[in-house]
Amino acid sequence: MRRFLPTLFAMLAVASWSSGPPQIQFENRQKESRITFVLDNGTLPDKPMLDGIPGGVALLDYDNDGYLDIFFANGASLPGLIKTANRFSNRLYHNNHDGTFTDVTDRAGLRGEGYSIGAAAADYDNDGFVDLYISGFDRNILYHNNGDGTFTDVTAKAGVTGISPAGKKLWGISAAWLDYDNDGKLDLFVTNYLDWSFATSRVCGPPGKRLSCSPTFYKGEPNILYHNNGDGTFTDVSEAMGISRHIGKGMGVAIADYNDDGWMDIFVANDNDRNFLFKNRGGRGFDEVGVESFVAFTDNGVPVSSMGVDFRDWNNDGKPSLIVTALGGETYPLFRNEGNGFFSYESYRAGIGFHSFKMSGWGAGIQDFDNDGYKDLFTSNSHVSENADLDKQQHYRQPNAVFRNMHDGTFQDVSGNAGPAMQIRAAHRGCAFGDLNNDGKIDVVISAIGSPAELLYNTSPGGSHWILIKTVGVKSNRDGIGTRIKLTSASGLVQYNHVTTAGSYASSNDLRVHFGLGAETVIKEIELKWPSGTVQVLHNVKADQILTVPEE
Amino acid sequence: MAVCTTWPAFAGPCTGAEEQLAAASRALNRNAVNVAENILRALSASHPDCPEIVLHQARLAQAKGRVDDAAELFYRYTDTDPNDSRGLAYFGRFFLEQHDYMRADALSATAMDKNPNDPAALALRGQVLVMKEQSSEAQALLEKAIKLDPDDPEAQFQLGAIYDKAKAAPQAVEYFRRATKLNPSDARAWDYLALNLEPLGDLEGADRAYQKGLQVNQPGRYHDAFLDYNYGRFLAKRNDLSGSKRHLDRAVELTPQIRAVWYERARLDLRVQNYQQARSDAEKAAACTQQGGIIDLQIYSLLSQVYARLGNAELAKKYADLTRETPPPVRGEQR
Repeated sequence: MRRFLPTLFAMLAVASWSSGPPQIQFENRQKESRITFVLDNGTLPDKPMLDGIPGGVALLDYDNDGYLDIFFANGASLPGLIKTANRFSNRLYHNNHDGTFTDVTDRAGLRGEGYSIGAAAADYDNDGFVDLYISGFDRNILYHNNGDGTFTDVTAKAGVTGISPAGKKLWGISAAWLDYDNDGKLDLFVTNYLDWSFATSRVCGPPGKRLSCSPTFYKGEPNILYHNNGDGTFTDVSEAMGISRHIGKGMGVAIADYNDDGWMDIFVANDNDRNFLFKNRGGRGFDEVGVESFVAFTDNGVPVSSMGVDFRDWNNDGKPSLIVTALGGETYPLFRNEGNGFFSYESYRAGIGFHSFKMSGWGAGIQDFDNDGYKDLFTSNSHVSENADLDKQQHYRQPNAVFRNMHDGTFQDVSGNAGPAMQIRAAHRGCAFGDLNNDGKIDVVISAIGSPAELLYNTSPGGSHWILIKTVGVKSNRDGIGTRIKLTSASGLVQYNHVTTAGSYASSNDLRVHFGLGAETVIKEIELKWPSGTVQVLHNVKADQILTVPEE
Repeated sequence: MAVCTTWPAFAGPCTGAEEQLAAASRALNRNAVNVAENILRALSASHPDCPEIVLHQARLAQAKGRVDDAAELFYRYTDTDPNDSRGLAYFGRFFLEQHDYMRADALSATAMDKNPNDPAALALRGQVLVMKEQSSEAQALLEKAIKLDPDDPEAQFQLGAIYDKAKAAPQAVEYFRRATKLNPSDARAWDYLALNLEPLGDLEGADRAYQKGLQVNQPGRYHDAFLDYNYGRFLAKRNDLSGSKRHLDRAVELTPQIRAVWYERARLDLRVQNYQQARSDAEKAAACTQQGGIIDLQIYSLLSQVYARLGNAELAKKYADLTRETPPPVRGEQR
């Protein structure tokens, strides 16, 4: 019978279309960094659903020394869900400013409990120190940063356990900090995955070569929205705000004010189910408009195995758009925000369709890696099933991918020319984006099951200029999360970005907002729209600096 | 000096015609109808009593679409030689083309009983087993058939189809390439070759294969009604929207009863912002009973987009609601 739908196909070596000199380069400096973290999923011969899913990374400056530190979420022994050995411990590495890192997990008190998956960093209590929320299968943990290099588990007191009103611990994957009601206090959104347990676990694939079962065999779960009460406690407002009535299979989450109304909206990538776009109704609730906005499915009207997501403006039109990672044979959906409430599916039009068709991805980022003023795309890749290679068309271990923005709405797969670091085949999972060495270039830290984490330092050639903007809210939340920034270069090029740590897969990015400036050494104007409503404009700002901007 | 003399075997009615018969068979395999016809005409004159000529005349009639003549000739041949596995196999292949699957099944089994090493019988039985979803058995038979007769394009095609179904594009490409080489007039094989080159990233090769398929896509046994549809989809992905429209327009002419062709054209209409045409095509897709792989969820999702673009809030909401209420398809058990 004639086929009508695309199917899963071979994952071949990624060929680059690039013909000019390489513009984006990465170098893996894991060995020099002294970071030895290996993501351990505690896998069992029957390959339970849980073991394909872990691997969040957070980039956060927990000691305010101006350099990003690195946190890795880790698995646990199965089926006990206990971090029985050091190899299951979550890890915090302090940045020594010289390319090396020191494991400070024990001192910080961040070894963790249970099967951890995601990490989200932000200063929820506005005390000037970044806190950390860990989502997981059996335990979600909120760590309060004590400001002295240590953290305290305040989960129970804060009321952010990830347990539903019915008393069930939901399977947490990713989390996002946002101030959905613009009251100056960061709220917390947690995605939840499947109604799965070892008791209900199915077994798929032949004995000895088990495969990850399809999530379609399990019911989904509602996501959770916690409102920050401002006194160290949170209230579960999922029902009141219209979140929990939508049952999905939540994986990645990203936030952006997609309709430019001053209120942050939330996108949830659902695995084999329609994606959610929670449109913020002025802080009074959310309408789920994924179907109406055309981001629920690809343009072929069917869901894909949505994993990670990023939600930023890649074509400098001021409208945050989306990239979503998925499994081989599906393509990575690229949804362009039209600015009229609709998104258009652009994967093929933008030139990533045929390339991503062969990839399976987790983390995703819309970042300007070559500092040319146009944001590029990065995905951390791997198939979900450890035994995926049984199917000759699939590969468990895959290289990551980077797509260069060609300034005309299209991207070019330049992975093949981006250096040996981009050829590493591994079971990549979460990845986080940020400037590890404050050189103005966005680096990437990637977790991988069974192999050392990768620290991809951005070594792209050329002397393009840049700026990193660190917002300090006063009336707004102290991190300034949700602040929309418009940057106008002397040449007239206008760029947009916003303050968020959310995005990618189960990971947390550099809070600082990065802009590439190309040849420009002075920025004509920077406009900041704070969540409080304050609009602040800076003029004639020098490039190549980390600019701290307190809210006026 | 002793002289060894080999006496000729019993001279039958086909003696001396063997090479020409083989040539006719090869010509029929690659759909070279005129060549086969000329050979058979000459043979009929020189060997009027050779029954095998009847077999190939039956195949010739089949190739030319003269169904009744073909059936009559096949019957005549199998009456003459009911134990010839080849005759039974070719007759079975004829029934398969007539969608008479039960008879094809029975004849393929009988042909195999008569001679389990006859490549024609093996190929037919393999093809039947593919249809019965006994892929591993079918694969074994087809591989054996190809080993015995690598020049049978149909066996190559069927083996390619097994790999296509198993989503093994590299292997499928190998067999479809052979099938197209042996029978360049097989539009189906070109189409499948293109479909399998596409996921391998050989976009230029896929494009060439689609175009070759379109060049030879004539009514008859190798006609491919979905070639324009598949090429139209391919061109849309390559952002050749006018080319895509040309082929999707043709696809809806060729197979208007299939939902998929209207659906695909509606998607293209939407992309080029021809919303009225998108509405028309999407509604036609919704009315089609033959889904062609397009499920209701896809139709609802498309219609919700179309009506939203047209500013018809009521219908947009209706289809958005239906989209939400319709569960997504259940994918394979594992991934």
